[in-house]
Amino acid sequence: MARKVYLDSAATTYVSSEVMAEMLPCFNAIYGNSNSVHSYGRDALAIVDRARDRVAHAINAEKSNEIYFTSGGTEADNWAIRGLAHANKDKGKHIITSVIEHHAVLDACKMLEEEGYEVTYVPVDKTGLVNIAEIIHAIRKDTTLISIMAVNNEVGTIQNVKAIAKIAHEYGIIFHTDAVQALGAVKLDVRDMEIDAMTISGHKIYGPKGAGCLYVKNGIKIDNLIIGGSQERGKRGGTLNVPAIAGFGKAVEVAVRDMSINQQKIKAEREYFLKNLKDKIPYVQVNGHPFQKVNGIANISFEMVDKESLLMLLDMEGIAVSTGSACTSNAVEESYVLKAMGIESEFANSAIRFSFGKNISKSDIDYVIETLSKVVERLRSISALTKAGRK
Amino acid sequence: MYSKRILERFSNPTYAGGIRGGDGTGRAESGAEVVKIYISVNEKGEIENAKFKAYGGVCTIVACDVACQLIEDKTLTEALAITADEILEEMGECPENKHSSVDIALEAVKLSVEDYFEKRQKQLKKRPKNIEE
Repeated sequence: MARKVYLDSAATTYVSSEVMAEMLPCFNAIYGNSNSVHSYGRDALAIVDRARDRVAHAINAEKSNEIYFTSGGTEADNWAIRGLAHANKDKGKHIITSVIEHHAVLDACKMLEEEGYEVTYVPVDKTGLVNIAEIIHAIRKDTTLISIMAVNNEVGTIQNVKAIAKIAHEYGIIFHTDAVQALGAVKLDVRDMEIDAMTISGHKIYGPKGAGCLYVKNGIKIDNLIIGGSQERGKRGGTLNVPAIAGFGKAVEVAVRDMSINQQKIKAEREYFLKNLKDKIPYVQVNGHPFQKVNGIANISFEMVDKESLLMLLDMEGIAVSTGSACTSNAVEESYVLKAMGIESEFANSAIRFSFGKNISKSDIDYVIETLSKVVERLRSISALTKAGRK
Repeated sequence: MYSKRILERFSNPTYAGGIRGGDGTGRAESGAEVVKIYISVNEKGEIENAKFKAYGGVCTIVACDVACQLIEDKTLTEALAITADEILEEMGECPENKHSSVDIALEAVKLSVEDYFEKRQKQLKKRPKNIEE
């Protein structure tokens, strides 16, 4: 294998050295239980408190105690949907979300439906944008929660979160956003954006896996997630994972601190990639919003090429990309996000997500384009689909 | 997810391609996947050459490649008798949720043989006309 290039940063990232340095002492030097009253415990608690302060500051939360550490984005999303719906059920049992949310939100909504709640899944347009008019239209007297992701993980479209939150509040509805893909890519200010609850995760921003948080504005009612411990104000019991929390706190701080410089670099990478791609490979289509999108994600359809075959051949050449959704069945399962956007089946089944990290070089991209060009041509030469006019 | 054997065959399929002026073509679809099997048949009714084209995933490409291997040098009757189990055995490990790949490869084989017979029948119908002329 000539070389390796990782273009799947939207799936996960490596842990940066700055973050690792923050974590390492927590494994053996400061190993106390942060709930213990002795000095070992207090030292660990100081680390947890610092991480909480860092996260709160990064997203401009009013108070640090509005940050509840979780095992990551999925847990935080599950908790937000179910915990907020359950705690506010006396006001109503109707929830609004979008069809392109992460499964952590969608499956939690499905569970609520089984419990008798009603959920409206608002559609998106061809660019992956949630239509605000559809949200307004879906609002009912018994709507208690609106949950719309800040940035879509497959196509990178940025939603109008602030406007949606404003509308929710006009009707006295709680607003939650899954901002896992947004942190470090767009500015997140929970007070300015009027967000009541927000999910973020560490491993997309050079932090450790298994660490994230749910921001819940003080005064918003949410059910307890794990009982049997006083941790996280009694809402999520269990001994805190101090090394992961320390790393998560640092990762969030660094992501916000370096956002501008990282985004400039990633934008340049993406533009260089797209320009070369369009120059060298015919019949490609970029999916998602033309400009209201994050720099790090490029979702591309290669006509007449099956996404799984392309992914595997690229993998054999050392290039890691993603098909954008966990594909478990044979029939080259269509991405529900692309389907919801109205992308034709042939394009949806040919779509690959390239997501750029901060460590990709120009020569890496040159290698990817060269390999892609070779591999795509090879698959097209044996494809059962044809295109009029293609040589 | 995939065995080394499957991936090796996937990256170097022996029977990928088409046959210009072939004697029979079978096209099968499943979901978004599309496969085509091309055959050329000699006077003894044996498949001399088999090729495939596929718009599909790893298992679909490998299943088609294996199907072509199994029907090559076989009579049409023998080709029609190949089973999913034979293809699966030759493929090695194939995840259970990918077994529909084998089904569309088999379907395309059957359709290619049917197409061959249809073409032959049309040729035979034309023959007396030619003699009269």
